[in-house]
Amino acid sequence: MMHCTMDDLVALRAGEASVWARQHVETCAACRAELDALYQRVAQLKALPALRPARDRWPVVREAARGQRMRRHRTWGAWSIAAAAALAGVLLLRPSTNVRAELVQAKQQSATLEDQLQRYDVEGRVLSGRAAALVAELEDRIAVIDGDLTRRGATATGGGTGTQDAELVKLWQQRVGLMQELVNVRATRARYVGL
Amino acid sequence: MPVALAVPDLLVARAQAGDEAALEALFRAFETPVYNVARRMLRSAEDAEDVLQETFLEVVRSIRQYRGEGHLWGWIRRIAATKALMRIRRDQLRVAEPLDEEPVGRPTMHVGANIDLERAFEHLSDTSRSVVWLHDVEGYTHEEIAELMGKSVSFSKSQLARAHARLRRMLGEGAHA
Repeated sequence: MMHCTMDDLVALRAGEASVWARQHVETCAACRAELDALYQRVAQLKALPALRPARDRWPVVREAARGQRMRRHRTWGAWSIAAAAALAGVLLLRPSTNVRAELVQAKQQSATLEDQLQRYDVEGRVLSGRAAALVAELEDRIAVIDGDLTRRGATATGGGTGTQDAELVKLWQQRVGLMQELVNVRATRARYVGL
Repeated sequence: MPVALAVPDLLVARAQAGDEAALEALFRAFETPVYNVARRMLRSAEDAEDVLQETFLEVVRSIRQYRGEGHLWGWIRRIAATKALMRIRRDQLRVAEPLDEEPVGRPTMHVGANIDLERAFEHLSDTSRSVVWLHDVEGYTHEEIAELMGKSVSFSKSQLARAHARLRRMLGEGAHA
């Protein structure tokens, strides 16, 4: 006599079984017993005790949260677009070097990307684990550059020697590159949570 | 596991504003259920703890994006499940273990041995365990599992049936094969 396979039994439990399986289980005591056993197994799985972590991972999470807050404070918000634009106007009216113009341009691009990023933040999306890891890495690299810029006291204007300004341009351009990657990840790899 | 994990909206709003005490309250509320899901899916307790940590790092980063659609536990659980599955995929790539096969080298269960369900469950492959836990215990649909795993719905269904067939054999149950 042909009996239900486990595929049939699982489908019966889900209410998706074939007509044959539904009819067979009505008349076959062995298959009914198998189906009951399946139900019991699932009930026992649900009743397993909750497992608890051996170590407290909150301190690590808390430190990361604090680091993130500090990074947010350092980042440029939308206000900096206007500031950078004003600065651009001032510098472009004066006789200026290419380096300074490049510096202004990089700052403007960075501020624009910050603005774009803030808009993605409020769209109710969540990242996949892989994308989240990439975002974390990019944010960390940006934080390193921000730290360097802060140490140089150069978040507002150039005005140093030619070499110093060239280094600043390089840093700001690196920041723009990373910000662009961050925006791309947020824009293309974020997903709506469908729960 | 029964889920009675409602948290006040005010607490969520405070966490979204970066309030550290609120974030810790969320961590404490969901620490055990997140770890439990991860531990049931993963073989090692340490890996499950790592997933717990990664999940909450993601929660801290993304909590401002949670806008109250669905249960917060559903949102956090999805992050945890994704991270656990990423770890499984990474380990499978590392040891070149096919996604739908029992891993090589694990102590095999004697068919028909009378062991308890928890031990039998531990002996399933990571993929099978994940499908069984997410479907039968957490209540995910095959469509949701397929999306999380990057696989087809039929893959999820066949994994579930095969896992139950293995459990049944290991538990020495049943009247016919």
